[in-house]
Amino acid sequence: MSLRKDEGGESLPFGRVLVANRGEIAVRIIRACHEMGLEAIAVYSDADAGAGHVRAADRAIRLGPANPAESYLDIDAIVAAGLASGAGAVHPGYGFLAERAGFARAVIAAGMRFVGPDPDAIEALGDKLHARRLALDAGVPAVPGTLEPAAIDRPDQLGPIVEQANRIGYPLLVKAAAGGGGRGMRRVARAEDLPVALLDGSHEAVAAFGDGRVYLEREITPARHIEVQLLGDATGRVIALGERDCSIQRRHQKLVEEAPAPGLSSDARRELHGLAVAVASAAGLTNAATAEFLRDEQGGLHFLEVNTRLQVEHGVTELVTGLDIVREQLLLAAGMPLSEAAVAAAERAGDPVGHAIEVRIAAEDPGAAFAPMPGRVARWRMASGPGVRVDTAMEAGDRVPPEYDNLIAKVMVHAGDRDAAIDRLGRALRETEIGGIQTTLPFHRFVAAHAGFRAAELSTGWVAQHWDGAAEWGRAAGLARAAAALAFGAGVGAGASAQEVRQQRGAGRGGEPGGWSDAALSDGVDRWPA
Amino acid sequence: MARVNGSGSGVRATVVGTLPASVESAAGELGEDTSTGARGRLEGLESGRGRLIVDDGKVHDVLITAIPSAARRSLGIDRLEVVVDGWRFEVDVEDDARARLRERATSERAAGTSGGPLELRAIIPGRVVSVDVAIGDAVESGERLLVVEAMKMQNELRATRGGTVARIAVVPGQTVERGDLLLVVE
Repeated sequence: MSLRKDEGGESLPFGRVLVANRGEIAVRIIRACHEMGLEAIAVYSDADAGAGHVRAADRAIRLGPANPAESYLDIDAIVAAGLASGAGAVHPGYGFLAERAGFARAVIAAGMRFVGPDPDAIEALGDKLHARRLALDAGVPAVPGTLEPAAIDRPDQLGPIVEQANRIGYPLLVKAAAGGGGRGMRRVARAEDLPVALLDGSHEAVAAFGDGRVYLEREITPARHIEVQLLGDATGRVIALGERDCSIQRRHQKLVEEAPAPGLSSDARRELHGLAVAVASAAGLTNAATAEFLRDEQGGLHFLEVNTRLQVEHGVTELVTGLDIVREQLLLAAGMPLSEAAVAAAERAGDPVGHAIEVRIAAEDPGAAFAPMPGRVARWRMASGPGVRVDTAMEAGDRVPPEYDNLIAKVMVHAGDRDAAIDRLGRALRETEIGGIQTTLPFHRFVAAHAGFRAAELSTGWVAQHWDGAAEWGRAAGLARAAAALAFGAGVGAGASAQEVRQQRGAGRGGEPGGWSDAALSDGVDRWPA
Repeated sequence: MARVNGSGSGVRATVVGTLPASVESAAGELGEDTSTGARGRLEGLESGRGRLIVDDGKVHDVLITAIPSAARRSLGIDRLEVVVDGWRFEVDVEDDARARLRERATSERAAGTSGGPLELRAIIPGRVVSVDVAIGDAVESGERLLVVEAMKMQNELRATRGGTVARIAVVPGQTVERGDLLLVVE
């Protein structure tokens, strides 16, 4: 056991943690366990036998077939794995079962700790409609919209909803009460499109969550997405560690996140943190969660929802605060009060020092509307050096399975200020080498080089406004053809890899270091049309 | 198959791959302007990594790896994986004179086979969520035909032209691989 003196104890009531997730977040949690002297047990589906999180864990237990319903979403199988391995706690990560109150209850009923909020708080905040009412009761302004599920079972019930929609104003959003990740969400620009959007959204919500309740929210645009990292302990104390700006999104899913949110005054930060703490306290939040807000152009804050789990982008808050949020989660799950380090970080949260940015490398094609592109990673080299952190479970030769979320790496940078962090991000992304699959890397390079991003001109419409993926792809295709023709002219390809060619050419032309590249240069230029 | 053709005096490079429709249109436009934008020189390439320096002075990061295939080799074609500034392509490269000979043969064979049925294929592996049409249905251009779900995202596949549904090769719930035939419109 390796607890610090200020963490108030020599040992935790558990020595083994089951990590009920996969991919980079499972590896992230396993690392925290190992730093605390805890054993980490991985679980896996048939698609993940031998995957990065299985390799990183002390032991791994098979759950079932690749289909998530039969593996990472199978509550009975995961609880059984926890009991069979002698785990004293279960960390759900994000996604999958992380925000299922029923899962948390099953873990607790089996005698293990659930590393996350109390099941009642998960339930209260997981119902987005309930959370909206909770926020309003706590004096926190929620996005204008409805507070009860829309009645859509019969066509004759549509009248009142259309009236409500007209009062809210268009464009508006149909959202799922059980929602998350943009699923069940539909944008409605005109009243005549509302009935279809309600039905479509509800059907998608049934498929995704088994709960077809939908409601209406005004679309606040332009707006920035800003969220607050929260921790709470069993005494009812809730603190805010700071905020993140996650405005750059596609399909209502984040691509770039940073901490702190640029351009906020110390007072504006404290006001935002106060609202987040108020909602979370009202829900009896414990452990870790994130309260999400939209900030309109006038600086007005509108509560969106609370995610009762570790967030994908927690790392940027860690870089700015110096805390390890997963470690804090494990301490809190053990019943300890908020650590001194966490409380001190919360006290500094109004005046943060330094800046961190994260980009999500996902297996998708930013030239084709960010369509998922699973496959096998042939080449994989991640950035390193000063101020760079990469969270991933990938290695060269690994497969990105089509069954799961396609996030494969989080590249984070940390520097003294935002400008330096952007410079560092550009450098880190130039170091990043990925082959075999298309990823979001070109988009992130574009963001890092974009003057508007550097000027912190952020909004949830950023991607639609600035990114023309097909045109960028087209430009790159021309460059790829040129590079291929030059390389072919230099002899790459004829059954030989670039490396082999270099050796052959190097030997044939004097063999000085870098000899082949010079040869490629002259041959290539000769052959290219003038 | 989307192709971005550009012939040089010595080498022909063709971007290959099955691409979503939105990209195919961009690829079409590309044919006209790449011959000018593509001049430059290649430096480095130790361990497959190098820099492409184009005429305007811009420097691009390039990764090049050969994708060996005996079948292509026998035709004198090499396939390279080329990653430029994070964009990944597979590019077929061959001697231009040889490519022109092969093309002439192919175009004679293909003459008169235009206007065939529209075959809708899966562009990503996934699971068929719903099939919205039945055999014999008349469909209009833009009409939703079926929905495929992959990686938490639902992809609606729509008719790119009107016609009659001649064949449905999948059922809801079925898992499909990239390139699998889904549906035929005649």
